[in-house]
Amino acid sequence: MQNIGAVQHPCARKYSGYIDKNYPSSEAFRMSGDEMNPAAVAQAVEDIQGDDRWMSQHTRFVQECKDAEPEVLFIGDSMVQLMQQYEIWRELFSPLHALNFGIGGDTTCNVLWRLQNGELDNIGPKVTVVWVGTNNHEHSAEQVAGGILAIAQLLTSRLPKTKVVVLGLLARGEWPNPLREKNVAVNSFLRSWLPRLGHTQFLDVGAGFVHSDETISTRDMFDFLHLTAAGYRAISKPLIDLLLQILEGTPEEKRASLV
Amino acid sequence: MSSEDSNPAATPTPGVDTQGDGRWMSLHNHFVSNSKDKEPDVLFVGDSLVQLLYQFEVWQDLFSPLHALNFGVGGDATQHVLWRLSNGELGHISPKVVVLWVGTNNHGHTAEQICGGIMAIVQLIKDKLPKAYTLVLGVLPRGKMPNPLRERNAQVNKLVQEAVSSLPHASLLNVDPGFVHSDGSISHQDLYDYLHLTPQGYQAVCQPLHAHLKGLLEKQAEN
Repeated sequence: MQNIGAVQHPCARKYSGYIDKNYPSSEAFRMSGDEMNPAAVAQAVEDIQGDDRWMSQHTRFVQECKDAEPEVLFIGDSMVQLMQQYEIWRELFSPLHALNFGIGGDTTCNVLWRLQNGELDNIGPKVTVVWVGTNNHEHSAEQVAGGILAIAQLLTSRLPKTKVVVLGLLARGEWPNPLREKNVAVNSFLRSWLPRLGHTQFLDVGAGFVHSDETISTRDMFDFLHLTAAGYRAISKPLIDLLLQILEGTPEEKRASLV
Repeated sequence: MSSEDSNPAATPTPGVDTQGDGRWMSLHNHFVSNSKDKEPDVLFVGDSLVQLLYQFEVWQDLFSPLHALNFGVGGDATQHVLWRLSNGELGHISPKVVVLWVGTNNHGHTAEQICGGIMAIVQLIKDKLPKAYTLVLGVLPRGKMPNPLRERNAQVNKLVQEAVSSLPHASLLNVDPGFVHSDGSISHQDLYDYLHLTPQGYQAVCQPLHAHLKGLLEKQAEN
């Protein structure tokens, strides 16, 4: 079965090398002779510590899919997960019937695995927000962007009615460092690749975090990576605006529905 | 030859910047310079369970009024806290009480080693701040269902309790309000990833902690 509905940019083809076991002929994603993009290979997290927390969280999310009818699905790493612990989630996102499937430490590979293994079953959210990539330490910026693209492709093929919003990776570290440059590069690839994919858009929520002296403040990111309540408040403004826009439909759609 | 040499959990070790953005050292430097112009009565030091506490309203409500500073670093094990406290974080402050909450990240160490690491920190605080009282918080259970880390953490608490029982300047406080249910499970409403506390989880932990702290501070004031 072809991956219906997804437009493939030539670069994405090379870097998104994603294999969905449910769709065997998506081998077509990988051009012959090209190496698989490791950031686009689904992979569960191994229980190294000994308390199996990753799998417990995944299992809970699969169960939540059975019980809930979310309009909005958030999926990603700790940037997604931590949001739910702050007041802002209850204020702005719960009312939208949002589910939060964030797991701290997750890479694009881990998110791909979770999405292929039950976390999209029985749900039909109108919007899926994807925020992942900052933990892909083994991968280049291009590979990470390819991994995120693979996630967006998976979502649009499995949930034909969903609009995908990919959040840009934030700057990190107190001072300029290679990871900031890498995350900027990832965002740059995403900006050019994502618009070519149907039903997907890129949203940069990172404005203002890096000050004129190039530092990041602990008032925004308490450990120069994870957001404080104030940091989440700042990113939520553009995000909620976009979500409401999508959920309420475009002016054209609204007019059409009135006829 | 001191026993610290053979116990990695009790050997001061800085965090390693494996990711490439120097965040561990940035945080340490922040804490050192923070300590230069603050006069806290209470210092919280430890891992992410301490660090995250600062982000929620419970800190403003319960601990800011006690003039508390927060030196928590996510991922820290006992040897990291030991290094930080040996390298400037206690340099310019004299809190009356130090709240120490660490141990759950000591992967690969035995309960005995982790206890040794905690006791090394208690000793260091005594050396640097002779008048301070150290309140060690019990390591919480973790994981959705029973697992070896729960046993390890419980054993750490037991060993530390025994070790501090003879000390006038330290004690162990068990802050687990009963997170483990009768079926052995922990709820994500209390520990959202079966390790880190939700705001609700923090409320349950911090109310008794706050009461205990106030009692300690009053006693310290009398001395």
